Amino acid sequence: MEIVVCVKPVPDAETRLRASPDGRTLDPEAVKFVLAGYDESAVEQALLLKEAVPGTKVHAVAYGPAPRTEEVLRSAVALGCDQATWVDSGPDATGDPIVAARALAGAIAGLAHDLVLCGKQAGDDESGLVASALGALLSVPDFSCVVDLRWDAATSRFRFQRPVEAGLESWTSPTPFVVGLQQAWNDPRTAKLPAILKSRKATIGRATAAAGTGGESRPEKFELPPPRTGAKMIEYRTPQEAAEKLVRILREEAKVFP
Amino acid sequence: MPDFSLSPEQQSLRDLARRFARSEMAPHAAECDRTGRFPEEIYRKAYELGLMNLNVPTEYGGSGLGAVDQCLIVEELAHACGGMTTSVIANCLALEPILLGGTPEQKDRILKPFCAEYHLASFCLTEPSGGSDAGGLKTRARRDGDGYVLDGEKCFITNAPHASLYTVFATVDPNLRHKGITAFAIPRSAEGVTPGKDEEKMGHRASSTSTVRFDGVRVPAADRLGEEGEGFSLAMRTLDQTRTPIGALATGIAQAALDHAAAYALKRQTFGKPIAEHQAIQIKLANMAQAVHAARLLTWHAAWTIERGAKGTLESSIAKCFASDAALHVADEAIQTFGGYGYMKEYPVEKLLRDAKLTQIYEGANEIQRTVIARELLLEYA
Repeated sequence: MEIVVCVKPVPDAETRLRASPDGRTLDPEAVKFVLAGYDESAVEQALLLKEAVPGTKVHAVAYGPAPRTEEVLRSAVALGCDQATWVDSGPDATGDPIVAARALAGAIAGLAHDLVLCGKQAGDDESGLVASALGALLSVPDFSCVVDLRWDAATSRFRFQRPVEAGLESWTSPTPFVVGLQQAWNDPRTAKLPAILKSRKATIGRATAAAGTGGESRPEKFELPPPRTGAKMIEYRTPQEAAEKLVRILREEAKVFP
Repeated sequence: MPDFSLSPEQQSLRDLARRFARSEMAPHAAECDRTGRFPEEIYRKAYELGLMNLNVPTEYGGSGLGAVDQCLIVEELAHACGGMTTSVIANCLALEPILLGGTPEQKDRILKPFCAEYHLASFCLTEPSGGSDAGGLKTRARRDGDGYVLDGEKCFITNAPHASLYTVFATVDPNLRHKGITAFAIPRSAEGVTPGKDEEKMGHRASSTSTVRFDGVRVPAADRLGEEGEGFSLAMRTLDQTRTPIGALATGIAQAALDHAAAYALKRQTFGKPIAEHQAIQIKLANMAQAVHAARLLTWHAAWTIERGAKGTLESSIAKCFASDAALHVADEAIQTFGGYGYMKEYPVEKLLRDAKLTQIYEGANEIQRTVIARELLLEYA
């Protein structure tokens, strides 16, 4: 089985963020980029399938600028992906999800793919569009919010579940199709030190972004939330003391109740 | 100019160590410190990720890292818990005599199966009657047929109760002093090897420390590391390699203390404003930051010197001595920044002081480091 998994570099949640000098985007110079959390779950899903279905190959694909996109592909290789392809966006990419999906679809169309796995959204722009757009561009079905994807050899179909508002849906689907995976339903593995060292020497394939129309949106302005004010730390020795102090503040200072 | 930037490879190694330290070690640091539990499940995970036998070449199943990469990893681990880090890196110390003094046959026979699975090893040099005076050690190795019989006791041995392999320094003739000392690789399974009970320690409580007795332990000549009488030099060359990571360990503790103190200073209010806005605290934090930064750079420089093939005795002694003194001082100032809360076990900084203290003592007490520094220094003026 041939699995393609799409990955994206996003700012590390622990990075202190700031706006770029032109004020339109996050300043990438000040940011440490990591493999997106949803995509970590997607890579883990791909590797679980690889372990379960003999002969499976996993190909990681990413679209974005240097150097972070190549770095995130090396992380995917260190985790266990067999191959990696980088679609270079150039330094001025707008981040438009349709442009990203078109670039990824162009690369994926040239690769064998029984299954295309994506995180259902990325932790930075939260757009959640790429998986659905890939389905449309590759003319295959797509499903979002998927968990627990398993190959059923007897029926040659995939079985999976979707936790939705009202409950848990169970589905089956023939290949090929696109999946947007829910985050953190599995426990993504950590790359081992020898694999990290080996991934530095891996060949990262290159593909050029497919041309097309649509996806003309551009970021206008990026603002950080205003600094929080008014927070007050209550110091205490016992829960009772904490509660007493809190009630006094709520009553006397915040005047929430008389 | 030297280049202080880390390669992408070094950044990913550091990220791996940081992630492991924060997600696996830090959540258990306070509990293990309180109870003295030896968290073997964490050490097993460290082994599985390749964070344990850092200095062993890949051909023998280790991670094959250079000195700088080792320091990057050790600092990150120590940021989460100094004690756990001591236990994680104890194999590097214990296996170094085999790397430096072992024949290719010994490395194949001893290191390969050892590194192929989770195993702990212990470096057995210190004895109840002395640690710094390694030339005067009393454990005897008597020639017997085609091997040796060892008798004696070692103490303060890291990981000893859990180790499956010991590198042991003994003398074939106490009258020869340094020239009688000989090194051996001895499996735990050898008859007459008895680790003692876990010591109750001031800090590094997640690590395990005990005596090891050797009572009539038969050791084949094939397990002697180097020639008879080469043991002292082997021990010193080992410590030349492993002293620098102790500087990194101390730097990690110091960085943790600074991080806690700065975060607390921004939060804690006195006289109507955060204490970080009081100059007394700012000066404290500034001095702490200088100490941490200098400790890190000295450590990196010592590691860089060793990676270039030099012995690095002077540089590694300076790094270990300075970084461990810095760690104690920075941890002390972190407690002072926290005030009364810092003295309470509920807050994380008093542990750092207790953990920092050991870095001034083990792997060559700082008094010995200063003796070494002065000796190396004066050679340049003589």
